Amino acid sequence: MNNTSEMMVEFSGEAQNESFARMVVAAFITRTNPTLEEVSDIKTAVSEAVTNSIIHGYEKSSGMISIRTRVDGRMVYIEVKDTGKGIEDIKKAMEPLYTSKPQEDRSGMGFSFMEAFMDGLTVESECGVGTIVKMWKEIGVSKHQFD
Amino acid sequence: MEAFEVSNGVMIYYLPQELDHFAADRIKRKTESCFKDGDIKHLIFDFDKTNFMDSSGIGLITGRYRKVHDAGGQVYVININANIDKILTMSGIYRIVKKKSSKEEIIKEMLKGGYYE
Ligand SMILES: Nc1ncnc2c1ncn2[C@@H]1O[C@H](COP(=O)(O)OP(=O)(O)OP(=O)(O)O)[C@@H](O)[C@H]1O
Ligand SMILES: [Mg+2]
Repeated sequence: MNNTSEMMVEFSGEAQNESFARMVVAAFITRTNPTLEEVSDIKTAVSEAVTNSIIHGYEKSSGMISIRTRVDGRMVYIEVKDTGKGIEDIKKAMEPLYTSKPQEDRSGMGFSFMEAFMDGLTVESECGVGTIVKMWKEIGVSKHQFD
Repeated sequence: MEAFEVSNGVMIYYLPQELDHFAADRIKRKTESCFKDGDIKHLIFDFDKTNFMDSSGIGLITGRYRKVHDAGGQVYVININANIDKILTMSGIYRIVKKKSSKEEIIKEMLKGGYYE
Protein backbone atom coordinates (compact mmCIF):
# COMPACT_ATOMS: atom_id res chain seq x y z
CA MET A 1 0.00 0.00 0.00
CA ASN A 2 2.78 2.43 -0.75
CA ASN A 3 1.09 4.94 -2.97
CA THR A 4 2.01 8.60 -3.10
CA SER A 5 -0.54 11.05 -4.30
CA GLU A 6 -1.02 14.77 -4.14
CA MET A 7 -3.70 17.39 -4.65
CA MET A 8 -3.94 21.14 -4.48
CA VAL A 9 -6.98 23.40 -4.21
CA GLU A 10 -7.23 27.16 -4.16
CA PHE A 11 -10.27 29.16 -3.09
CA SER A 12 -11.12 32.66 -1.93
CA GLY A 13 -10.80 33.32 1.77
CA GLU A 14 -14.44 33.54 2.76
CA ALA A 15 -16.09 31.87 5.73
CA GLN A 16 -18.45 29.90 3.49
CA ASN A 17 -15.43 28.09 2.07
CA GLU A 18 -14.33 26.68 5.43
CA SER A 19 -16.61 23.66 5.10
CA PHE A 20 -15.52 23.16 1.50
CA ALA A 21 -11.89 23.08 2.62
CA ARG A 22 -12.57 20.47 5.30
CA MET A 23 -14.60 18.31 2.96
CA VAL A 24 -12.15 18.30 0.10
CA VAL A 25 -9.25 17.26 2.33
CA ALA A 26 -11.38 14.60 4.04
CA ALA A 27 -12.42 13.21 0.65
CA PHE A 28 -8.83 13.09 -0.59
CA ILE A 29 -7.46 11.22 2.41
CA THR A 30 -10.11 8.44 2.42
CA ARG A 31 -7.59 6.34 0.45
CA THR A 32 -5.59 5.91 3.68
CA ASN A 33 -8.58 4.17 5.30
CA PRO A 34 -8.78 6.51 8.26
CA THR A 35 -11.13 5.91 11.17
CA LEU A 36 -14.02 8.34 11.62
CA GLU A 37 -12.11 9.84 14.52
CA GLU A 38 -9.00 10.41 12.39
CA VAL A 39 -11.09 12.10 9.71
CA SER A 40 -12.69 14.27 12.36
CA ASP A 41 -9.29 15.23 13.78
CA ILE A 42 -7.97 16.22 10.37
CA LYS A 43 -11.10 18.21 9.55
CA THR A 44 -10.72 20.16 12.77
CA ALA A 45 -7.05 20.92 12.10
CA VAL A 46 -7.79 22.07 8.52
CA SER A 47 -10.67 24.18 9.76
CA GLU A 48 -8.44 25.90 12.33
CA ALA A 49 -5.75 26.77 9.78
CA VAL A 50 -8.21 28.01 7.14
CA THR A 51 -10.22 30.02 9.65
CA ASN A 52 -7.00 31.66 10.86
CA SER A 53 -6.11 32.66 7.30
CA ILE A 54 -9.53 34.27 6.87
CA ILE A 55 -9.83 35.97 10.26
CA HIS A 56 -6.24 36.94 10.93
CA GLY A 57 -4.41 36.70 7.61
CA TYR A 58 -6.92 38.60 5.52
CA GLU A 59 -8.98 40.26 8.29
CA LYS A 60 -11.36 42.63 6.52
CA SER A 61 -9.62 42.24 3.15
CA SER A 62 -9.79 39.23 0.88
CA GLY A 63 -7.36 36.89 -0.81
CA MET A 64 -6.80 33.33 -1.90
CA ILE A 65 -6.06 30.35 0.32
CA SER A 66 -4.41 27.26 -1.05
CA ILE A 67 -4.30 23.80 0.45
CA ARG A 68 -1.86 21.15 -0.66
CA THR A 69 -2.39 17.62 0.57
CA ARG A 70 -0.06 14.71 0.03
CA VAL A 71 -0.61 11.13 0.97
CA ASP A 72 2.38 8.84 1.21
CA GLY A 73 1.42 5.39 2.42
CA ARG A 74 -0.19 6.02 5.78
CA MET A 75 1.22 9.54 6.13
CA VAL A 76 -0.91 12.57 5.42
CA TYR A 77 0.78 15.96 4.85
CA ILE A 78 -1.29 19.13 4.67
CA GLU A 79 -0.18 22.68 3.87
CA VAL A 80 -2.47 25.67 4.28
CA LYS A 81 -1.17 28.88 2.77
CA ASP A 82 -2.37 32.47 2.66
CA THR A 83 -0.79 35.66 1.38
CA GLY A 84 -2.19 37.77 4.17
CA LYS A 85 -0.59 39.98 6.77
CA GLY A 86 1.63 37.32 8.33
CA ILE A 87 2.54 36.63 11.95
CA GLU A 88 4.97 38.90 13.75
CA ASP A 89 5.88 36.57 16.61
CA ILE A 90 5.17 32.93 15.72
CA LYS A 91 6.25 31.56 19.10
CA LYS A 92 3.86 33.83 20.93
CA ALA A 93 1.04 33.17 18.44
CA MET A 94 1.36 29.44 19.12
CA GLU A 95 1.16 29.75 22.89
CA PRO A 96 -2.00 28.14 24.25
CA LEU A 97 -4.79 30.69 24.80
CA TYR A 98 -2.93 33.51 23.05
CA THR A 99 -5.19 35.46 20.73
CA SER A 100 -4.75 38.86 19.10
CA LYS A 101 -8.55 39.23 18.94
CA PRO A 102 -9.96 38.57 22.43
CA GLN A 103 -12.75 41.08 21.78
CA GLU A 104 -14.11 38.95 18.92
CA ASP A 105 -14.92 35.77 20.85
CA ARG A 106 -11.60 34.16 19.96
CA SER A 107 -10.12 31.90 22.60
CA GLY A 108 -6.63 31.28 21.27
CA MET A 109 -7.11 27.54 20.94
CA GLY A 110 -6.64 27.09 17.20
CA PHE A 111 -2.95 26.15 17.25
CA SER A 112 -3.45 23.94 20.32
CA PHE A 113 -6.15 21.98 18.50
CA MET A 114 -3.95 21.63 15.41
CA GLU A 115 -1.12 20.34 17.60
CA ALA A 116 -3.34 17.95 19.50
CA PHE A 117 -5.12 16.50 16.48
CA MET A 118 -2.10 16.14 14.20
CA ASP A 119 1.25 14.44 14.86
CA GLY A 120 3.26 17.55 14.03
CA LEU A 121 3.00 21.11 12.85
CA THR A 122 5.29 23.88 11.61
CA VAL A 123 4.48 27.49 10.88
CA GLU A 124 6.31 29.71 8.43
CA SER A 125 5.29 33.33 8.25
CA GLU A 126 6.54 36.71 7.19
CA CYS A 127 4.89 40.05 7.87
CA GLY A 128 3.20 41.40 4.76
CA VAL A 129 3.94 38.21 2.80
CA GLY A 130 1.78 35.51 4.32
CA THR A 131 1.65 32.33 6.33
CA ILE A 132 2.10 28.63 5.63
CA VAL A 133 1.01 26.03 8.15
CA LYS A 134 2.36 22.53 7.54
CA MET A 135 0.83 19.62 9.41
CA TRP A 136 1.19 15.87 9.22
CA LYS A 137 -0.42 12.80 10.70
CA GLU A 138 0.10 9.08 10.41
CA ILE A 139 -3.14 7.21 9.86
CA GLY A 140 -3.73 3.93 11.63
CA VAL A 141 -1.78 4.59 14.81
CA SER A 142 -4.21 5.38 17.56
CA LYS A 143 -2.65 7.66 20.14
CA HIS A 144 -5.34 7.13 22.76
CA GLN A 145 -4.43 10.54 24.05
CA PHE A 146 -7.73 11.11 25.83
CA ASP A 147 -8.15 7.72 27.45
CA MET B 1 -30.62 25.50 9.71
CA GLU B 2 -30.11 26.24 13.38
CA ALA B 3 -32.73 28.02 15.43
CA PHE B 4 -33.14 29.26 18.93
CA GLU B 5 -35.86 29.67 21.49
CA VAL B 6 -36.30 31.83 24.56
CA SER B 7 -38.72 30.98 27.32
CA ASN B 8 -38.82 31.72 31.05
CA GLY B 9 -35.41 33.36 30.96
CA VAL B 10 -33.77 30.34 29.35
CA MET B 11 -32.34 30.58 25.87
CA ILE B 12 -31.82 27.38 23.91
CA TYR B 13 -29.53 27.32 20.89
CA TYR B 14 -30.32 24.48 18.49
CA LEU B 15 -26.89 24.24 16.90
CA PRO B 16 -26.27 23.32 13.26
CA GLN B 17 -24.51 20.23 11.89
CA GLU B 18 -21.20 22.04 11.60
CA LEU B 19 -20.33 24.65 14.19
CA ASP B 20 -17.46 26.53 12.58
CA HIS B 21 -16.56 30.23 12.21
CA PHE B 22 -19.13 30.74 9.46
CA ALA B 23 -21.95 29.21 11.51
CA ALA B 24 -20.87 30.82 14.79
CA ASP B 25 -20.90 34.31 13.27
CA ARG B 26 -24.35 33.76 11.81
CA ILE B 27 -25.71 32.52 15.14
CA LYS B 28 -24.21 35.51 16.96
CA ARG B 29 -25.76 37.95 14.49
CA LYS B 30 -29.18 36.35 14.78
CA THR B 31 -29.28 36.12 18.55
CA GLU B 32 -27.35 39.15 19.80
CA SER B 33 -30.43 41.37 20.11
CA CYS B 34 -32.06 38.86 22.49
CA PHE B 35 -29.57 39.81 25.18
CA LYS B 36 -30.42 43.54 25.05
CA ASP B 37 -33.43 43.35 27.41
CA GLY B 38 -31.38 41.47 29.96
CA ASP B 39 -34.05 38.89 30.74
CA ILE B 40 -32.05 35.90 29.59
CA LYS B 41 -30.67 34.18 32.66
CA HIS B 42 -29.57 30.72 31.57
CA LEU B 43 -28.28 29.28 28.30
CA ILE B 44 -28.57 25.81 26.81
CA PHE B 45 -26.53 24.77 23.77
CA ASP B 46 -28.16 21.77 22.11
CA PHE B 47 -25.63 19.76 20.04
CA ASP B 48 -28.16 17.13 18.96
CA LYS B 49 -27.58 17.75 15.24
CA THR B 50 -23.93 18.75 15.54
CA ASN B 51 -21.12 16.48 14.41
CA PHE B 52 -18.39 19.02 13.75
CA MET B 53 -17.02 21.83 15.85
CA ASP B 54 -13.79 23.81 16.10
CA SER B 55 -12.39 26.65 18.21
CA SER B 56 -14.97 29.06 16.80
CA GLY B 57 -17.64 27.01 18.61
CA ILE B 58 -15.69 27.34 21.85
CA GLY B 59 -15.55 31.10 21.24
CA LEU B 60 -19.31 31.22 20.72
CA ILE B 61 -20.02 29.45 24.01
CA THR B 62 -17.50 31.39 26.11
CA GLY B 63 -18.66 34.70 24.63
CA ARG B 64 -22.33 33.98 25.47
CA TYR B 65 -21.26 32.61 28.88
CA ARG B 66 -19.84 36.01 29.74
CA LYS B 67 -23.20 37.62 29.02
CA VAL B 68 -25.08 35.63 31.64
CA HIS B 69 -22.40 34.63 34.12
CA ASP B 70 -22.16 37.90 36.06
CA ALA B 71 -25.88 37.79 36.78
CA GLY B 72 -25.53 34.29 38.19
CA GLY B 73 -26.66 32.45 35.07
CA GLN B 74 -25.76 28.87 34.21
CA VAL B 75 -24.65 27.54 30.84
CA TYR B 76 -25.45 23.97 29.80
CA VAL B 77 -24.48 21.81 26.83
CA ILE B 78 -26.70 18.87 25.90
CA ASN B 79 -26.76 15.92 23.49
CA ILE B 80 -22.98 15.75 23.16
CA ASN B 81 -21.51 13.05 20.90
CA ALA B 82 -17.98 11.66 21.12
CA ASN B 83 -16.44 14.03 18.54
CA ILE B 84 -17.85 17.10 20.23
CA ASP B 85 -17.01 15.82 23.69
CA LYS B 86 -13.36 15.46 22.70
CA ILE B 87 -13.19 19.13 21.65
CA LEU B 88 -15.10 20.40 24.67
CA THR B 89 -12.92 18.36 27.03
CA MET B 90 -9.68 19.55 25.43
CA SER B 91 -10.77 23.17 25.57
CA GLY B 92 -11.32 23.00 29.32
CA ILE B 93 -14.77 24.52 28.92
CA TYR B 94 -16.34 21.97 31.28
CA ARG B 95 -14.93 24.11 34.08
CA ILE B 96 -17.57 26.72 33.27
CA VAL B 97 -20.39 24.89 31.49
CA LYS B 98 -22.35 21.85 32.65
CA LYS B 99 -22.86 18.81 30.44
CA LYS B 100 -26.33 17.27 30.67
CA SER B 101 -27.93 14.49 28.67
CA SER B 102 -31.08 16.40 27.73
CA LYS B 103 -33.31 19.40 28.26
CA GLU B 104 -35.49 17.27 30.52
CA GLU B 105 -32.59 16.60 32.85
CA ILE B 106 -31.94 20.34 33.18
CA ILE B 107 -35.59 21.11 33.83
CA LYS B 108 -35.67 18.43 36.51
CA GLU B 109 -32.62 19.97 38.14
CA MET B 110 -34.13 23.46 37.98
CA LEU B 111 -37.36 22.24 39.56
CA LYS B 112 -35.40 20.61 42.37
CA GLY B 113 -34.25 24.07 43.32
CA GLY B 114 -31.03 24.57 41.43
CA TYR B 115 -32.68 27.28 39.38
CA TYR B 116 -33.42 29.47 42.36
CA GLU B 117 -30.28 28.94 44.40
N1 LIG C 1 -2.76 32.88 9.02
C1 LIG C 1 -2.51 33.79 9.98
N2 LIG C 1 -2.18 35.07 9.64
C2 LIG C 1 -1.93 36.01 10.59
N3 LIG C 1 -1.98 35.75 11.93
C3 LIG C 1 -2.29 34.51 12.33
C4 LIG C 1 -2.57 33.48 11.39
N4 LIG C 1 -2.84 32.35 12.10
C5 LIG C 1 -2.72 32.67 13.40
N5 LIG C 1 -2.39 33.97 13.57
C6 LIG C 1 -2.15 34.65 14.87
O1 LIG C 1 -1.96 33.65 15.86
C7 LIG C 1 -2.89 33.84 16.94
C8 LIG C 1 -3.24 32.51 17.55
O2 LIG C 1 -3.99 31.70 16.64
P1 LIG C 1 -5.00 30.62 17.24
O3 LIG C 1 -5.71 29.98 16.11
O4 LIG C 1 -4.28 29.74 18.18
O5 LIG C 1 -6.02 31.50 18.10
P2 LIG C 1 -7.18 32.47 17.57
O6 LIG C 1 -7.44 32.26 16.14
O7 LIG C 1 -6.86 33.85 17.99
O8 LIG C 1 -8.43 31.95 18.43
P3 LIG C 1 -9.32 30.65 18.11
O9 LIG C 1 -8.57 29.83 17.10
O10 LIG C 1 -9.45 29.96 19.43
O11 LIG C 1 -10.60 31.15 17.59
C9 LIG C 1 -4.03 34.62 16.34
O12 LIG C 1 -4.76 35.35 17.32
C10 LIG C 1 -3.31 35.52 15.32
O13 LIG C 1 -2.79 36.67 15.96
MG1 LIG D 1 -7.70 30.38 15.30
